[in-house]
Amino acid sequence: MPDADFMTVVTALAVASFACRAGGFMMMRFVRITPRVEAALKAVPLAVMIGIVVPAAAAGNLPEVAALFAVGVVMKLLGNEFLAAVAGLAVVAAGRWLAF
Amino acid sequence: MPLFGLVSCRWIMTVSGRCAEGCGDNSRNDFRGACAGHHSMSSNRTTFSRAGIRHGFVMAQPLAASVLLYGAVFGVLAGESGLSTLQAVLMSTLVYSGSAQLAALQIGVTTALLPPLLLAVLLLNARYLLYGAALRPWLGGMSPAAAYGTLFLTGDGNWALAMKEYANGNRDAGFLFGSGLAMYAPWALGTLGGHMLASWVPDPRALGLDFMLVAFAAAIAVGAWRGREDWWPAAASALAAVLVYRLLPGGWHIVAAGIVGAAVGAWRHRDA
Repeated sequence: MPDADFMTVVTALAVASFACRAGGFMMMRFVRITPRVEAALKAVPLAVMIGIVVPAAAAGNLPEVAALFAVGVVMKLLGNEFLAAVAGLAVVAAGRWLAF
Repeated sequence: MPLFGLVSCRWIMTVSGRCAEGCGDNSRNDFRGACAGHHSMSSNRTTFSRAGIRHGFVMAQPLAASVLLYGAVFGVLAGESGLSTLQAVLMSTLVYSGSAQLAALQIGVTTALLPPLLLAVLLLNARYLLYGAALRPWLGGMSPAAAYGTLFLTGDGNWALAMKEYANGNRDAGFLFGSGLAMYAPWALGTLGGHMLASWVPDPRALGLDFMLVAFAAAIAVGAWRGREDWWPAAASALAAVLVYRLLPGGWHIVAAGIVGAAVGAWRHRDA
């Protein structure tokens, strides 16, 4: 059975996590969604994904950069996110294996 | 492929919580198509149907496969950090955030480290504030139980998938719930499996598993690309991410990219 210390931490982290999920939704109750606000919200998904990818790309390690290229190519060809991500993993694994 | 771009803005002005809630109640037993069929004429009607949940659950299965793997990665890493199987699964089912859970493992899961742990989780999940805000028009008319239950299940992948579905005219919030469920279950199961397999995977890095989140984010970004109008927000958010990544630790660069992308998107918007 997990001890009280662990349960305290996990409960606190769960509350923080859910507060983020519910917080934006609750905030928008008081914000009028104009076309401009909607344009802002629609720009968010791409921007967040770019935010996740950019540090890995900017580090400039060859396996990772080649893998991102592979993700882009497979995504354009097949349009399937999972297959594209798996192609990226394969290139990273192969690149790291070759580097040894 | 147009993902987020094709939705008319007019419906937003007409959505009022009460009206949409009534709509949801009336059509709870309808097939999804009954409401979706209207969407080109009156796209303000939001619903929450069982058929919608099924549809979302099925459509999210390609994502579910990758979540299962990502969950397994967390399970392996949790095992290496000394968490028991039950502890790892509890963390995945309650916190339900891959990046935050991985950061928590790196910090150390103990009350002595609660302040940095909480800050890390808030920072890494701040993007969900933006996700939830974007879902307001869709979930605003639902009952609190349906709305907050759906928000609890929302993750990066199914949110992006659902926003694409919304842009294509789907107003059935059941899709959001079903696709969320399709990611939540494999996240928990993957954690369980990964933790049990922990001793058999000597080096997750050699398999490129640490690259999973980045590869998946890149795939979603390519899929989310709408066209020429995306260049400015994309370039600005990339620049913001690089700058903030160099200046601040933690997940701030992801938050900065989202905020800057939103600001530039609003700035470039032209009222039709």
